Amino acid sequence: MKLGQALLDQQVTDRNGELMGKVDGVIVELRKEKPPRVATLVIGGGTAAARVHRGWARWLLRWRRRWGPRSDEPLEIPWSRVLKIGVDVKVDLEAERTPALAWEHWVRDHIIGRIPGA
Amino acid sequence: MNKLVEIALGLVTGIGGFLEAGSLATSVQAGASFGFQLIWAIVLGVICIAFLVEMSGRLAAVSKHTLPDAMRERFGIRFFSVPLVVVVLVSFLVLASEIGGVSLALQLITGIRFQWWAPVVALAIWLLLWAHNFSLVEKGASLLGLVTIVFVVGALKLHTPLGEVGAHLLPSMPREDPAKYWFMAVSIIGASVSPYLFYFYSAGAVEDHWDEGHLGVNRIIAGLGMGFGGTVAVAALAGAAMVFHSRGIQIDRYEQIPLVLAEPLGHGGFILFVASLGIACFGAALEIALQIAYLIAQGFGWKWGENIRPRQAARFALVYTVAILLAGLLILTGIDPLRLTVFSMALTALSLPVTVVPLLIVMNDPEYLGDNVNHWISNAAVLFVSVIACVVALVAIPLQFLGGS
Repeated sequence: MKLGQALLDQQVTDRNGELMGKVDGVIVELRKEKPPRVATLVIGGGTAAARVHRGWARWLLRWRRRWGPRSDEPLEIPWSRVLKIGVDVKVDLEAERTPALAWEHWVRDHIIGRIPGA
Repeated sequence: MNKLVEIALGLVTGIGGFLEAGSLATSVQAGASFGFQLIWAIVLGVICIAFLVEMSGRLAAVSKHTLPDAMRERFGIRFFSVPLVVVVLVSFLVLASEIGGVSLALQLITGIRFQWWAPVVALAIWLLLWAHNFSLVEKGASLLGLVTIVFVVGALKLHTPLGEVGAHLLPSMPREDPAKYWFMAVSIIGASVSPYLFYFYSAGAVEDHWDEGHLGVNRIIAGLGMGFGGTVAVAALAGAAMVFHSRGIQIDRYEQIPLVLAEPLGHGGFILFVASLGIACFGAALEIALQIAYLIAQGFGWKWGENIRPRQAARFALVYTVAILLAGLLILTGIDPLRLTVFSMALTALSLPVTVVPLLIVMNDPEYLGDNVNHWISNAAVLFVSVIACVVALVAIPLQFLGGS
């Protein structure tokens, strides 16, 4: 449990050191007759928003249906993918290929990329 | 040798970066209205910002975290969102003030009203950031910012009585108009202790890969850089005291303000004033726009950095684009840049506990700083100044508006 608390809100980087978001949520697995353990790290705006204010998160969710990338499901990273926990949490993934960057890509393709010189 | 270059660069940034719309507007107004009496407020502000900048650099050097990274990690997103929103709002108003300052400088030379310059200024700031070669621009702006030293020359040429200046290093009670006096005092403190300064500083230190070997350099840059910057602000206040207050002149038009330098230095002084105002505000606007984007990107773990193409950090680029656009629009409405500036500075002072206390908590946490946690003097100095500034602002801001001036 302590580990889960410590991991929340840490910076996550992919295997090449690219920034891919923060640990917005942690899924803890409860086991019979053994101490619970951190099973999954979650990266996702909705998960983070729900931790700030639930009502506000619902309002955001309704608003985003009309806007933004088609899918921005939170990214769930199984514990086996965690490479190293230092200043950042390094995971064995490639950020570009994960939904963690769905919004980044959407903003790039729909707004920033359309401005000359980007 | 390398360290000496770093110190020199840091000092140049400190001096060139200290004086911006906020410090200039509040110093000149305070000098014109109250003579030398409010110098103590600059001193208090400088002490506080020097400690804060030192902390922010130390945090980056020891923990390799930028300030927003550490704050989100330490407090969780729920509590982090409060200082995040406050700093973004305050920084946005300060950004608009800086755009107003550049626009005003352009009005002084061309005679065309400032609000029509706002879109031009905003576009220029945005283009420089968009060209993603900001480190060069930043160093250039701080080097040009050294022009503000001319305020010291001006104050000396006006034969400012240094004894008078020294006598007001400590606070004294106002002789007249107490509401305005305290309002000006907190505005001055807010101008010195702009959160963008210390939030920004940690990002630079992380980008330059500072380690514990930089702690000495960091201390020198923070102390001397802010000290020299404060000296320029004191000189601007003293100049205004000599030119306006001692002759009983009230500033009621923008065109009078350059007299601070034009009086002692002639037409050249006028040009130098306009250049100082324009360059200082432009440099500050670049930094603040970038800092807003840094803060949000670091808070959410997005890619950030001053020298990457916009399309490689699209959300980061979107944040500064929107901030500059909105700030430009605010000035375009014709809002009085001088009043906006002084108001933003008072608001900054009011919000100090929210922006400063989380930093203090991180700075006292051995998990981040090990043996390099804060000395009690740092804690006491920063806490003392921010709480006093907040309490006085709480009383002075409503009084100022009820007074209707």
